[in-house]
Amino acid sequence: MPTYDQIVDQVIESIKEIVSHDLAIDENTDLISDLEFDSLKVMNLIEDVEDYFDISIPLNVLADVRTIKDLALQLERLTGKN
Amino acid sequence: MLEPTPTKNGLQLRYGDFSTLTEALDYAARGETGYNFYNGKGQLDFVLPYAQLREDAIAIAKRLLGLKIERGSRVALVADTDPGFLQMFYACQYAGMVPVPLPASLRLGGHATYVAQLKRLLMSCRASVAIAPEAYLSFLREAAEELPLSYIGSADSLRSLPAGRDELVPSGADELAYLQYTSGSTRFPRGVMITNRTVMNNLGNIVRNGVKIRPGDRAISWLPYYHDMGLVGLVLSPMAAQVSVDYLRTRDFAMRPRLWLSLITKNRATISFSPPFGFELCMQRLREKDLSNYDLSSWRVAGVGAETIRAQPLLAFSEMLAPSGFNPGAFLACYGMAECSLAVSFSPLGQGIQVDEIEAETLAVTQRAFPALKPTHRAANAKEFVKCGFALPEHSVEVRDEKGNTLPDRHVGTLYVKGPSVMSGYFGEPDLSGEVLSPDGWLNTGDLAYIADESVIITGRQKDLIIINGRNIWPQDLEYLAESQPEVRTGDASAFSVSGDDGEDKAVLVIECRIADPARRSALSEELQGAVCSELGIDCFIELVPRNTLPRTTSGKLSRSGAKRDFLQRVAKGETESPAIDIAAYNYRHRILSAAVGHR
Repeated sequence: MPTYDQIVDQVIESIKEIVSHDLAIDENTDLISDLEFDSLKVMNLIEDVEDYFDISIPLNVLADVRTIKDLALQLERLTGKN
Repeated sequence: MLEPTPTKNGLQLRYGDFSTLTEALDYAARGETGYNFYNGKGQLDFVLPYAQLREDAIAIAKRLLGLKIERGSRVALVADTDPGFLQMFYACQYAGMVPVPLPASLRLGGHATYVAQLKRLLMSCRASVAIAPEAYLSFLREAAEELPLSYIGSADSLRSLPAGRDELVPSGADELAYLQYTSGSTRFPRGVMITNRTVMNNLGNIVRNGVKIRPGDRAISWLPYYHDMGLVGLVLSPMAAQVSVDYLRTRDFAMRPRLWLSLITKNRATISFSPPFGFELCMQRLREKDLSNYDLSSWRVAGVGAETIRAQPLLAFSEMLAPSGFNPGAFLACYGMAECSLAVSFSPLGQGIQVDEIEAETLAVTQRAFPALKPTHRAANAKEFVKCGFALPEHSVEVRDEKGNTLPDRHVGTLYVKGPSVMSGYFGEPDLSGEVLSPDGWLNTGDLAYIADESVIITGRQKDLIIINGRNIWPQDLEYLAESQPEVRTGDASAFSVSGDDGEDKAVLVIECRIADPARRSALSEELQGAVCSELGIDCFIELVPRNTLPRTTSGKLSRSGAKRDFLQRVAKGETESPAIDIAAYNYRHRILSAAVGHR
């Protein structure tokens, strides 16, 4: 089971594959207002982390995700279930 | 091991010649075919043969009667791609209730937006019952908090209630089969009323005349159930012709579009539909080395619709997938809308994408679409439009000018359609209904088109509509978000799309704003960009302009086309930052559009 910090690192890694610009990204980065993620980029990110952690992220959890921290907490919960 | 329902059916094929959906399901239930659900890994998760579906639907219908709600009550259903939605949808038919599919689409950080959207829809249709799969139930409960609902829960929880004692009387031919909220404005929803007679007419036409169902057909779909093409085209039509269907969730397709092709290969599917966007998404994600894994030779109907169709990306798709056996003749261009149940016209089967090449200059100047005759002129001066085929039997189409005069062939104007698949109106909105539907039954599609060789040819969809990544965005929704900011007054924002230099459309919001402080200005832009992104899932370019910049009509209304024209002039003069748009492409399109809508 990955630790919270490992999850955050992996999410940031995945995001850097998707966004081209060179921004400083940390767990408090807001995916929408800081990174301007549109729905296609969201799908790419979700696919990436789903594949990496071998989990399925239900769409409904995304509704309360804005920052990398929000996403990492959900991933921590989902990977903990396995 | 779970096995999908078979393609082959022992039952004699009937082409949707039933008077109601329950009659159609009663018949389909006598065979072995049905609906199948695949997960994000492409594995079969659940099998729902029509026979089982009918039993489930009847059992749930008795519980609906047990709720003691009036006949014809609206039952709102959060329409995720799952068996529960289908059981509920048909249960409503057996119980004489009216199902109303609600969107099951969530965006990043979209909790509040989604709940607000559900609430608007529940109120608009005056729902008595609201049902959602477990994952969506908390949102639905939140949306329904202050609303007078008789029941809220999941299909399973409803099923555990005691059955009513009254006898089931299924919805009749002239009773509503469903309300379909159009993919129109999310802020101002419109529920299209479709009776059983109306939808059965469209289903019969689709299966007999459009895709011409034959034994051995099998459909596959990833289209959402809350869109007309997903629901009417790929849920109801296959059932009406006793055809098995394999479903992928829309989100699974969006993430892994290759699943679509693998499943066609695996189950030898023959029929699948998609907006052009779906083919493009699939192509972007294909890898050269995957091509040999697919065998698409069974795919005889690759339906394309729901957006303006451009030939080029589809040709690229068929070229790329030729080694996998994809037949370009399988492309079937069609045109339709929820207001006409679904289908208005189909191009002839087996011919692939057919285009009409016309003289661009002539179109711009005279609004007439003359065939481009001189090949040497083509590159510079020709424009091609995809032929969307002939109107369904018993249906008429006509093109009219702004004054309502019927135009001859090859003249661009607004497309009207009339026939037995047209809706009864918008639920609870007599005024809106009257605006689009005349007393003699002509429906104003709002689309720009011309007719040539009896074929419907769409030149522009809904003149103000913004299409980004295949999604329809209504300018009034963008303007509403702007006006929701405390710094922006109602009527001071104008939204439109411009053509980006990558050929994609980009949304632009021009806002009149009094604030002088640069920090506050940029804070407003950022705030608004975030709101647009979380509510609509798109990027938007925001320009703040001084008061009295936006052009208005004599009655004081904003002119979106005028705002766009002025905006592009400012970009051209370097007075505003360019959102990476292609001015040349804009000028060209603008000439055609303004010619088409009649103002220069």
